[in-house]
Amino acid sequence: MSFVKRDLPLIILSACGLMLLLNFFVPTDIGNVVKAELTTWTVIIGCIGTFLGIYYMTISQWRLLQQTKTTIQYFYFATIFGFMFLWLAVGLYFPGGVTSPQYLWLQNNLYRNQSGMVYGVMFFTLSSSAYRTFTIRSIESFALLVGGVIYMLRQIPIFPAIWPGLLPLGEWILLVPNVGGGRGAVICAALAALVVGIRTLSGREATMMEVQ
Amino acid sequence: MIAFRTGAVWDLVLLLVLSATSYYYMNKALKGEELPKIRTLAAIEAMEEGVGRSVEADKPVHFAMGASGGQLYSTLVSMTLTGLAMANYVARLCAKLNARLIVHMPGQAESIPAVEGQVREGYLREGKPEMFIREDMRYYGRQASSWTQGVTSSYAEEGVGVNISVGIFYSDCPISLELAKFHGGMNIGGTGRWIMAYAFAMMCDYVLLGEEIYAGAAQVSENPLMLSGIAIEEIGKAFVYGMIALGLILSVLGVSAATTFGF
Repeated sequence: MSFVKRDLPLIILSACGLMLLLNFFVPTDIGNVVKAELTTWTVIIGCIGTFLGIYYMTISQWRLLQQTKTTIQYFYFATIFGFMFLWLAVGLYFPGGVTSPQYLWLQNNLYRNQSGMVYGVMFFTLSSSAYRTFTIRSIESFALLVGGVIYMLRQIPIFPAIWPGLLPLGEWILLVPNVGGGRGAVICAALAALVVGIRTLSGREATMMEVQ
Repeated sequence: MIAFRTGAVWDLVLLLVLSATSYYYMNKALKGEELPKIRTLAAIEAMEEGVGRSVEADKPVHFAMGASGGQLYSTLVSMTLTGLAMANYVARLCAKLNARLIVHMPGQAESIPAVEGQVREGYLREGKPEMFIREDMRYYGRQASSWTQGVTSSYAEEGVGVNISVGIFYSDCPISLELAKFHGGMNIGGTGRWIMAYAFAMMCDYVLLGEEIYAGAAQVSENPLMLSGIAIEEIGKAFVYGMIALGLILSVLGVSAATTFGF
């Protein structure tokens, strides 16, 4: 049993890995065919994983319901599976599948609004953590704050409606100081990588490993 | 015609270096020989402190791998394994200190058995299998929007002693981390996704930056094969950094590696 459960999957995986590696370094027509076939299999494995997921989720929810037979637990169970079957039924039954108007209605009016709300909450959590983390102690940090606030206000539809000038101003912040700052960060990261490289070559870099 | 791929010589060299290092360290691990030690990470030490704090405050310990933290067939699977190792460790800590653990499971339902198994095994290892409570293994569906709502409502209803978040995080973490803080909890965590590292840096009391999550997981798992994996990664990293520096020096000297060495 352990051979089938452990050794056989390892042998199959190793063989697939070796074939893909070989085809990377020495590309051949047969190798490309094998690669295409294996890529198709990843989709199949993904689909099996999804069905396994539905099975595990159902078992897990069913056990929870058996353990705590409360009104709220019945409600959770009914809601989860009600929506799941509604989603599946609409997607499979109506012509057009996931592009049918019925499915798109569910997507746009239930799912998308909920996601938008969660992203809206993120505005408050990020603001509160930024307030706690950053303090204005220099002209640079003040500039960062002003730029951030202007860009944030530009993203919220009501503010450009009140003052249309926020749109070009926000765009300028995005395309000029933001790009300049980004390039600076990339140059710094590249220089840091080189410094670490030189330190590594000279044996001076302290890594994850405990310095003996 | 069969020919070696142009420009892939250094890829092959790196592959050979990593293969040789893997063979060497894994062999050592399997033979039970001593492996390089990982330096102690502040965030790992703080986990025990956080669990103790939860016991004192009579509040639960929350653990999350992220709304998308259960990916079993993607390039981020290494972070899933990291999250699982951490789930096991946190369960062990909770069993040791008698703290209640609430696990917010990832949206990938196919990983539910793996998460449950790790938590159950953690309790079992400390001799307290009865501490495993299925109701405290929370599942909120596939989407980050339902996950964040479930997690934050649990914070509000049951309180937060410490919130340990290690795994794959997207835009779910700014909400879950900040609201744990809002409810008086201590935050410890990290993700290997560099793009979300800012949220952990801003919102956590103790942060595991980038690859530290792998090193931390290997350390707490006490699994020689995971420890050997970190050693292999370090050698590979040193090789790549060395190549960058060498490339710079050659470039400054006006030497083209491609023409000089014939590839």
